[in-house]
This record gives sequence, structure tokens and C-alpha cells, in this order.
Amino acid sequence: MELMTPAGGTIFWTTLTFLLLLFALTKVGWKPILSMLDEREKKLKESLELAEQAKIASQKTLAEQNQLLETARREAQEILARNRKAAEATKEEIIKKASSEAEQLIAKARREIDLSRDKAIEEIRDLAVELSMNATAKLVGKSLDAGDHQSLIDESLKKLGELN
Amino acid sequence: MITQIVEHASEHGEAVQQAAEHAAEHGESGVGFIMHHIMAHPVIKLPTVYGIDLSVTNHVLWMWIVSALLILGFYVAFRKPKLVPHGLANALESLVVFIRDDVIMPNLGHEARAYAPYLLTAFFFIMLCNLAGLVPYGATATGNIGVTATLALFTFFVVQIAGVRKHGFLGYLSTFSPPGIPFLLKFIMIPVEVISMITKHFALAIRLFANMIAGHITILALLSVIFLFKNWLVSPFPLAIILFSAILEVLISLIQAYVFTILSAVFISASVAEGH
Repeated sequence: MELMTPAGGTIFWTTLTFLLLLFALTKVGWKPILSMLDEREKKLKESLELAEQAKIASQKTLAEQNQLLETARREAQEILARNRKAAEATKEEIIKKASSEAEQLIAKARREIDLSRDKAIEEIRDLAVELSMNATAKLVGKSLDAGDHQSLIDESLKKLGELN
Repeated sequence: MITQIVEHASEHGEAVQQAAEHAAEHGESGVGFIMHHIMAHPVIKLPTVYGIDLSVTNHVLWMWIVSALLILGFYVAFRKPKLVPHGLANALESLVVFIRDDVIMPNLGHEARAYAPYLLTAFFFIMLCNLAGLVPYGATATGNIGVTATLALFTFFVVQIAGVRKHGFLGYLSTFSPPGIPFLLKFIMIPVEVISMITKHFALAIRLFANMIAGHITILALLSVIFLFKNWLVSPFPLAIILFSAILEVLISLIQAYVFTILSAVFISASVAEGH
């Protein structure tokens, strides 16, 4: 049957056509396409790797910055705490100094008061002696001798002491 | 629609009349009509050289048309290869990538590069030849046993070359004698291996040929129903089934091209396989 018999002419032409087609398509089609596909895949891979690297780098930077931020925050807090403590100490010191000064002032004042009082008492005593001497002189009309003087003074002082 | 059918009918009526001459041989008019349409007939008469009729048949002509379309298409699409393709380049590339990734790579792996051109050419050539039969006035070159036999022979030779390239000539011959088999069994196994090598390529040729011719015979047989009834009023019924068959043939055209390519890839991979 003719249908099932390969014709020599057909085989000849098919062989020729197919070989030419194979060469032509390899030249205009397969080589450019396959190398382009390879190139694209390479580029894709490279891009992905690059992206991955960029991601890792950015993550590293972020971590570094976070760490930096954390350090800065801690330092700031430390400085703040230190300052607060120093201020507290200064405050205490000032208060202590002030109070000690005040105490000193008070003590000085008291000393001066005591001194003035003693002096005043001395003056009063002298004045009293003079007064009593004058009064006695007027009363007696004459000067007394030293012995009389003394006894009178003592008497007056005693009286003054009682008055006091 | 009706005039078209009538024209078609009259056109084929001539064919039937022509076929009537064959009718005496075949005994019925339908067979002659179908045979007329599926057989190659010369378009350009050329002399016979060494007993080979070199006349260019319609099948050869369509082979040329398909080849020209392929070369032109790929040339236009990939004249300036771009990293990001558009339009035709994109469409062709997706097919190439499909064949490369789903047919060639899984079977041939790192040897893919050497055999990709052959397998890709075979796929595109067979696919377009198959589809050419569905075009008006078209002819299916792959519906010619001479064409499919030649294609199968190409695969056969590629398989032999691949084997020799991989194992060396003697090494390749030794793959026909599987190791670990008792000496006496070798008298059975070696012929079996040789026959298997020939049979699978023979089957490759027959499979493609039969699939393509069967679709055409179906369509033509359904078409001759109209002439058997001698009444165009019956034509809607066969035409509906013809439409279905034609759509099915589109599918079969793609599938058979795919099958031929994947089987070629499998045969090559079996040939280059280690420790066969």
C-alpha cells in the first residue's frame, strides 16, 4: 500500500529540509535564545544575591544603629543620674554649710551678748560704787577712811546682790 | 454558509470524480476521495535520480513553508536579543523555555545544551507541520510516513551519536550487553536490546504518522458522508463533528509534537545513561 511506503523523494527532501532548518534555527534561534536565557538567569541570580547581601548589610547597620542608640541612651541616663547625685550632694553640702554658719553666727552673737552683759554688769557695779560713795559722803559729810570704804562697798554690794 | 458548503461540495465533487478513476481499484468512491487527500501528490515535477522521484510534493512544499515561517519568525523575534522580551519573542521564548525546562532538562540534565538544538527544532518543526494540515489548502507533512520515518531516523542517529560520544564506540556497543547476566542469556538479551533500539524508533515514526493521518481520515470520512447521501441538507451533522474533530486535531498536533520531543529526549538520555 502506497500510504505506508516511505517515498525516497520524501525522505530525501525531508532530510535536506530538516538539516537546513536545524542549522538555520540553531543560528537565528536556539543559540541567541539559550544564551539569553542563561544570561538572564545569571543576572537574576546575581540580583537576588545582591539583594540578599544588601538586606544583610542593612540589617547589620540597623542592629549597629540600634546598639549605638541603646548605648547613647544608657550613657545619657548615667549622666543624668550622676548629675542628680552631684546636685543632691551639693544641696546637702550647702544646707550643712549654711546651718553651720548660722550656728557659728548664733554662737558668736551669744558670746558677744555675754560679753556685753558682763561689761554692763561691771559698769553698773562701778557706777553703783561711785553712787554709793557719793551718797555716803553726802550723808556722812566727810570722807571716810579706807577701812570704812571697804566695809561700805561690801555692804552696798551685798545689797545690790540682793537686789539683783 | 450554504453557498460556501455548496462550493466546497462542488470543489470536492471534482475530487470525487477524480477519485472515481481509483474507485474501480478500491471498490468504493469514499476511499478514493480520502486517499486523494491524504496522499502526497507532486506539485513540481522533477526527474527521477537513481530510482528516486525527486518531485516536490505538496507535503514537501508545506515543509518548506513551515521551515521558512520558523526561520523568519525566530529571525525577526531574536534579531536583537533583549534581556526582557516582548510580543513574538516572548511567545516563542515561553515555548522554548517550556521545552527546555519540562522536556530537555529533566531528561538530559547537564548534557542538555548539546541536544537542545535538535530537540527544539524537532518540536517546532513537527508542531507547525501538524498544524499546517488544519489550514485551508494546507497539507500535513507529518501525515506522510516518509517524513515521520526520516524524523525518527534523525532521532535514531542522534541517539547513536550521543551514546558513542558518551561511552566511546566500544563502550557504547557494550551497553547492548547488560552486565550481571549469565553468559547464555546474553544470546537472548543482546538481540532483544538491539531489536528494542530499532523498535522504539520505528514506533516513534508510526505514532506520529498514525496520529496525524487518523485525524485527517476522520475528518475526510465525515465529509464524504455528505457525498454519500448526495444531499447537502445532511451537511450540518457531519460538519458539527468535523468542527469537533478539527479542534481535537489542534490538541493532538501539540501533544504529538510534545510526545515526539520528549520520547527523543528519553531515548537520548537512556543512551547516555551511566551503567546501562
